[in-house]
Amino acid sequence: MSEEIDFDAILGKYHSDPYDYVEICATHTGRVSFKIAEGDTVNSPSGEWLHIPGSPLFEITREQNPKLVTAKTNGTISSVRQELEGQFVEAGEKLLTIRHPLKKKEVIEGILKEVLYLFPAPERAKYFFSLDIQSRIEKKGARAITIKPGDEIIIMSLMKRDTPIYYTGEAGVIHSVYFSPGLSVDQGQPLIGVCASEKLPLIQKVITRVKADWDKLADPGHLED
Amino acid sequence: MAAINRPTPASLHEYIWQREKNSRSRNPLLPSPEKILRYGAIVGSVIQCHSSMDRTMDQARLHICDLEKTGASVASGTVILADTLIRSKGRFSRSWHAPVGGLWGCLILADTFLTRARTILPLTLGISCCEAVRDLGVDKACVRWVNDVLFSGQKIAGFLVESFRSPQHGEEFHLLGFGININNNCFPDALENTAVSLSQILGSPVNLHDFTLSFLAKMAWNIGLLSYEEEQELGRSCSPEDEESHLLLDQWKSLSDTLGRRVLYGYDIQQHPLYEARVTGIRPDGAIVMQLGDGHEIIEHSGELQYL
Repeated sequence: MSEEIDFDAILGKYHSDPYDYVEICATHTGRVSFKIAEGDTVNSPSGEWLHIPGSPLFEITREQNPKLVTAKTNGTISSVRQELEGQFVEAGEKLLTIRHPLKKKEVIEGILKEVLYLFPAPERAKYFFSLDIQSRIEKKGARAITIKPGDEIIIMSLMKRDTPIYYTGEAGVIHSVYFSPGLSVDQGQPLIGVCASEKLPLIQKVITRVKADWDKLADPGHLED
Repeated sequence: MAAINRPTPASLHEYIWQREKNSRSRNPLLPSPEKILRYGAIVGSVIQCHSSMDRTMDQARLHICDLEKTGASVASGTVILADTLIRSKGRFSRSWHAPVGGLWGCLILADTFLTRARTILPLTLGISCCEAVRDLGVDKACVRWVNDVLFSGQKIAGFLVESFRSPQHGEEFHLLGFGININNNCFPDALENTAVSLSQILGSPVNLHDFTLSFLAKMAWNIGLLSYEEEQELGRSCSPEDEESHLLLDQWKSLSDTLGRRVLYGYDIQQHPLYEARVTGIRPDGAIVMQLGDGHEIIEHSGELQYL
C-alpha cells in the first residue's frame, strides 16, 4: 500500500462511475436459458435470514438437472450474452453483468479491500474466532490483535465438525471482520482484512477522508449513503 | 490403575468379521458387505484404554504430536477410551458429565476423504450409536440432525468432531469424540431432564464391553460406507452434488425423526436460538432444508436443532 494516496483520484473515480460491475459466470457446464434482459432491474436476497432468493438470472441444465441461478446483488442488467441462449456453456463462461449502485459503506469497503490483506473462507461454512482470539477481541478490540502466519485464528464449523483455520497472510492487525457468528460464508469470500499496524493511521485517514468528502462529491442522483 | 473397559483390536476384529458382517449380510439391498467392512477395518486398529484422563480429544492430539516427534505417524483408526473423564466438555465449552459407567472416547482418523465424505463424516457417529442402541432393543432411539441420539426427547449421547493438523508435518486428522451414557445413572441437576442412560431406559445394566465393540464395529461399517461411496462416485460421471442417493444418508434418514419436524434452529441453540421452521429434507451434502413461516426455504450446513 502506497504511503501517498491520491484521495481526489479515488473519490473522483467513484464519483464518475459509482457502480460495481458484477460479472456472473456459469457455475458449471450446461445448457443456459436466460430469465432476464438488458436493462432489467434485479434484486438481491432479502428477508431476515437472507432466505428469500434474489431475482432469477438464468437456468442452467446439466444431465437433465435444471438449476436456477439467482442474483446475489441488486442492480441493473448492463449486458447479457444473448448469443448463448439455449447453448451449452463451459463452467466459468461469462454470461451477464449486473451494474450495482454503490453505497458509501461499500465504497469505503471497496477501498479497504484494495489495501488490506483479505483472508478467504476455505469452504462455505460458519466461522467464529478461536477462543483465545475471541477473548482478546472482547478485552481490547480486533484492531489491537496482532496475528502472524501459522496462528490459529478462526474455527470453521461445518456439520458439527470444527476445524481450526491457521492464518497464512502477512502479519498485522485485524482491521476488518467480514463474518458474523451463525451466518454462513461462501467459499472464497473474505473472513478478515489484515494490515500492518503502522498502516492503521493511514487507513483510518482514508476512511475519514471518504466520509468527509462524500457529501461534497456525491451526486444525489447516483450515490446513496 | 487398570481400565475397567478394555476392548482389544483382536476382539473388535472378531466382532466385526463375525457379528457385524453377518448382520449386514442379511440386508439384500446392501452391496458388498465385505468390501465395505474392509474399507472401515482401520477403526480400532489400535485401542488405548485408560482408567481416567482429562479429555480424550486432548490425549489424541498429544498422542499424534508425541509419535511425530519420534518420526512415527499415528495409526489411522486409533481409539482412545477412558472409564471416566475429569474435564470433559461439549460444544461451546458446555460441560459434559463423564463418570464411570459411560462410554467416553475418541477415534482418530487421518484425513483421506474427499470433500463430500469429509462433510458428512460427523453423521457416522450418530448413525453408529443409534444402530448399537437399537440393537439392544431400544427401538425408539432416533437421530436428531446432525448426530444427537435421543430417546423420548432425552439425550443418550453427544459427539464432537474436531480437525487437527500435526505441528511438524502438517498431517490432517479428524478427531471423533464420543460420549454415550451407558450405565451412568446419576446426572447433575442441570442435565437431569435432558440426559438419560441406556441402563435407565432398559431398567438393567448394559455390558459396557459388548456395547463398545458393537459401537466401534458400526463405526467401521459406516466409515467403510463413506469410502465405498467415494469409490462409486469416482466411477460415475456426474458431480456428487447431483447425487441424491448415498448409502450413509439413506441410513441416516431411516434412523432420524428430524424430517417433517417443527424445530427451533440456532448456531448455538442454548445461547442464541434464531428461528422456527419445519424440516423438509436433507441434501446430498448433509445440509438440512427447512421451510420458514413465510413459506420460503432455507438451507443450513451447520448449527443445532431443538424439536418443538
